[in-house]
Amino acid sequence: MIEIEQLRYVRLGTRNLPAAVDFAQRILGLQLIERNDEQATFRSDFRDHTLVYEVGDPMQQSVGLEVRTQATLDRAIAALAATGITATAAHAQALARRKARAMASFRDHSGNTFELVVRPQTSGWRYFPSRDAGVTGFAAVALRTTANEADETLWTTLFNGQVSDWVGDAAFIRFDDAHHRLALHPSSRAGVLAIEYAVEGMNQIMQAMYFLQSAQVKIVHGPGRRPTSDQMFLTFAGPDDMLFSYVAEGVRIADDGAHRPRQFARKHLSFCAWGSESTIPEFAVSEDSD
Amino acid sequence: MINLQRVSYVRLGTRDIEGAIRFATDVLGLEVAEVSKGAIYFKSDEREHTLCYFEGDPHDQAVAFEVGSRAALSAAASELERLGHPVHAGTPSEAEARKVREFIAFNDPTGNRIELVWRPAYSGARYHGTRDAGITEFSHVGLCTTDAARDEAFWTQVCNARVSDRVGDAPLLRINEVHHSIAMFPTDRSGIQHINHQVESADDVMRSFRFLKERQVRIVFGPGRHPSSSAKFLYFEGPDGMVFEYSSGVKMIADELLYRERQLTFDPAGFCEWGAKPDVPEFRS
Repeated sequence: MIEIEQLRYVRLGTRNLPAAVDFAQRILGLQLIERNDEQATFRSDFRDHTLVYEVGDPMQQSVGLEVRTQATLDRAIAALAATGITATAAHAQALARRKARAMASFRDHSGNTFELVVRPQTSGWRYFPSRDAGVTGFAAVALRTTANEADETLWTTLFNGQVSDWVGDAAFIRFDDAHHRLALHPSSRAGVLAIEYAVEGMNQIMQAMYFLQSAQVKIVHGPGRRPTSDQMFLTFAGPDDMLFSYVAEGVRIADDGAHRPRQFARKHLSFCAWGSESTIPEFAVSEDSD
Repeated sequence: MINLQRVSYVRLGTRDIEGAIRFATDVLGLEVAEVSKGAIYFKSDEREHTLCYFEGDPHDQAVAFEVGSRAALSAAASELERLGHPVHAGTPSEAEARKVREFIAFNDPTGNRIELVWRPAYSGARYHGTRDAGITEFSHVGLCTTDAARDEAFWTQVCNARVSDRVGDAPLLRINEVHHSIAMFPTDRSGIQHINHQVESADDVMRSFRFLKERQVRIVFGPGRHPSSSAKFLYFEGPDGMVFEYSSGVKMIADELLYRERQLTFDPAGFCEWGAKPDVPEFRS
């Protein structure tokens, strides 16, 4: 069992770095940490950075997860190899870009890229965002999966992930006391679906709704509340069709033994208890029996 | 000093009583308490009724406040007469139509019809709405004022109301621990400006937002949050142009000595801290 310590970052390729930087600062409200011709990194909390835009193909995306030691990383590489997944150790330049001591990357059964990093940098400086969005931290990543069972099994058997709930076949997977850190949504293709940032509370969710409306940012789902995690959410579109969510509140699962994963029907109301609907295919539901 | 205990009910005339029933049950989510000839009573909490629609002129509106005793009622009548407000002593049949033991009626300085009632009926049956709107009680009214300073003086000096906050010149007035039971909005007419029901939680406000939108009910303000009372709100339009409000989380003012009213700006930011912009004439700057 490989222990995932925490979510660290998402790296996204973009053909238009200036537009992505503008979005991350002015709309999303993150703090720009470093910017050069190749990449821009953004902070949302105690982590040095949680979002990276790098010049390249928008299909080139990866999710960074922390493991504690080099030994754990070595065990992970071996365990992945045993299931037929090749993990590639990173070279010095890639490590420098990620501000980590060691790293290995691999693809899940759908083709989503993950990077296991050892000793990624924490910031001693307080997070000071460019706008008062009330972001408290990087919360979760929603992924598309074309092999939901195999991908779910990867996280729950090879790694320490546990399914908190399912909506249809979409699995919400936790690694700590948060309801989920990864969500796997069955889809026709792989890729990051949404990047989620926690905000202080309902005020920030609702203020964001009016702010995004006035900034003419497309809101694709919410404001709403997830019956699964009990989180309030607001999902909107960023550059390169990437979705971002603000989330607030939500259950903590402190006692693993006491929590049983629940199966929710694949209905609008299973994604949003307030009744908001979405045209995003992964949340779209072909039912009319609500 | 007239001691108002609690806002009791609202009476609204309407030419379309069937339409009013449909709205009050299917949309607002109240429970029909009683149907009588030409009038229908709705229940929203532990009281026998808190809203009555009757066949009549939509401008014929009244809001009632409970007073503590028969003595208080007669003292109020003489005080109002002394101040030049003609007082109508309710007849037994009028009192029965209001489900109260006794009442008097008068006009406030703007001309709003006010009823003071003694022993309004409570009921043993608990409120069970026709839809799950999460309503917990009828909580306050907005009243029109043609002179906010004059009317504030009336409610705070002749009656026991205290100013909890002001939005521009509009005073939000409390008569008990609830941040406001009466809100006065400057305009050029008299009448009830809005009718508020409290709901259990912000979830209920947001569920109703979707519910009302789906049914194409005109939403005139919100969802939002008042910086004054800290309540999350949603305003929408009912029959005869009446504005109804759901809100949740209204501030309670337990310690009169520690509380100090605040001045808020009469603009969207003074009415909503989330960024909603009102489409209510009396809230527009």
